[in-house]
Amino acid sequence: MSETSCYILDNGAYTAKVGFSTSEPKVVPNCIMKAKSERRRPFIGSQIEECRDASGLFYILPFQKGFLINWDTQKTVWDFIFSKECCPVNFSETPLIITEPLFNFSSIQEAMTEIFFEEYECQSLLRINATDLAEYNYRKTNNNECTVVVDSGYSYTYIVPYVKGKKYKDGIRRIDVGGKVLTNHLKEIISYRQLNVMEESYVINQVKEDSCFVSQDFMKDMEIARKKDSSNTIVKDYVLPDYTTIRRGYLRDVVRPDEDLEQQTLRMNNERFSIPELLFRPSDVGIPQMGIPEAIMHSINSCPEENRESLLENIVLYGGNTMFPGFRDRVYMEVRALALDHYDVNVSRGDNPVTYAWEGGKMMFRDPDFYSFCVTREEYEEEGKALAYERFDI
Amino acid sequence: MASRESGRVKDAEKRRVLDDAARKRRARKAIEALELDNFHEDPHADLVMSKKVPKFADSNEKPTRKKKAKSAEYYKMRFRKTFAQLVEEDASFRPEPPNYLSAQVPPSKFPDRHFCAVCGFPSNYTCIPCGARYCCVRCLGTHLDTRCLKWTA
Ligand SMILES: [Zn+2]
Ligand SMILES: [Zn+2]
Repeated sequence: MSETSCYILDNGAYTAKVGFSTSEPKVVPNCIMKAKSERRRPFIGSQIEECRDASGLFYILPFQKGFLINWDTQKTVWDFIFSKECCPVNFSETPLIITEPLFNFSSIQEAMTEIFFEEYECQSLLRINATDLAEYNYRKTNNNECTVVVDSGYSYTYIVPYVKGKKYKDGIRRIDVGGKVLTNHLKEIISYRQLNVMEESYVINQVKEDSCFVSQDFMKDMEIARKKDSSNTIVKDYVLPDYTTIRRGYLRDVVRPDEDLEQQTLRMNNERFSIPELLFRPSDVGIPQMGIPEAIMHSINSCPEENRESLLENIVLYGGNTMFPGFRDRVYMEVRALALDHYDVNVSRGDNPVTYAWEGGKMMFRDPDFYSFCVTREEYEEEGKALAYERFDI
Repeated sequence: MASRESGRVKDAEKRRVLDDAARKRRARKAIEALELDNFHEDPHADLVMSKKVPKFADSNEKPTRKKKAKSAEYYKMRFRKTFAQLVEEDASFRPEPPNYLSAQVPPSKFPDRHFCAVCGFPSNYTCIPCGARYCCVRCLGTHLDTRCLKWTA
């Protein structure tokens, strides 16, 4: 039994990446949102595109702290995703690859198996970590032996070493800083310094995406940002959306007061680089944890010595946070400085960091052994959930 | 008159100093706030919403599904465990590392850096009553007027 295409759902805590292996993935918000301006209906997944005024959006997310906790919300979003409105599928004819968090709790794993076999009537199911798909993508492209996968997402940043295609679990490291912490911290400092935006997660997340960059020399950039004249090349204004003429805000140069364009703006100065800096120095906001480069070294140093050379040569970054300009260069620079001189260091970013794992799923479906990774409906009915627990290395 | 009044209040506050426990509590609350999904109430909370889940058109042209789909509400009841319960359960189910708890990175070996609680630039001074950092007299003034002991920790 083998099908011509497979359905891949990289079920992230903030966005789900979904589509058939024969097409391009869609990125769908994995949540339900309620708008102040629209009281008749909630917006499920990508329905948010129909919302005219996205100010004060209220989020209902299936995930808490990176784990699937709110099943009613998830079921509602999945029903949307699997419907004609989004990306329709018949699971009795199409195998499914779905991602789960690292160290996913056993009762959530059981629930996943049950809901896909019983509710969605899957024929073949592969439950897998997104980092496994990312590693597969990297290894099939580079033909390397060992890989360090860095997944910097919404809830966490995970560092996962792989030796010959297998997770080395003792080396997995988690930093409790992801996109949510960055957005919330930006909201907090803007609200204190300029304008109360505590209710504007959606908009401030866009401000973060449009304005922030990773500094290559943090203290030097602080000195530049201190300057009051034109030698301050960092300071910009962010024009906020008004949902009449401007639907998404944008960054622009600071204009003189007499040129005031009567737009509502946020002044973005040291905020532009001190926010992504938290990924490199969580202790800047009092989170007593290593930053990404230090954690990469901590992870590699816990792996067998004979694999360290290959690990340092194959560090791959993906996830939304890796899209900040300067992210890869900073990781490379710091890892290079921390590693022993006689090792080579190579750091790359997935081509499309948001869908990098999804693309790995597409490649894995073409693996000649693909069906041996899956559990079929017949196997599930005969042997129950225990088989899924054994076969899937979550 | 008003300014003298507030000046007196400020003097009274200055004599108060937050103890270590209160400072730690404040720091922990700040970190917890970074985890929140929303800082406001559900804007539709006052609406009497129909409990019905929205219906999406089935993916198949022909109704091939043999059984009736279960509701979102059913799964909420069926898999009802909080994050804290799951962590506790994991500790007995997977007690030996590696597991969720053991994977957390340890503290950094680099020394902490300090930033002004008001403007975000590097700071050299510590507010005596509350322990917050500030960089200059102007920022200290803003801090005393807006936060410092005015926050209940
Ligand atoms: Zn200051
Ligand atoms: Zn103070």
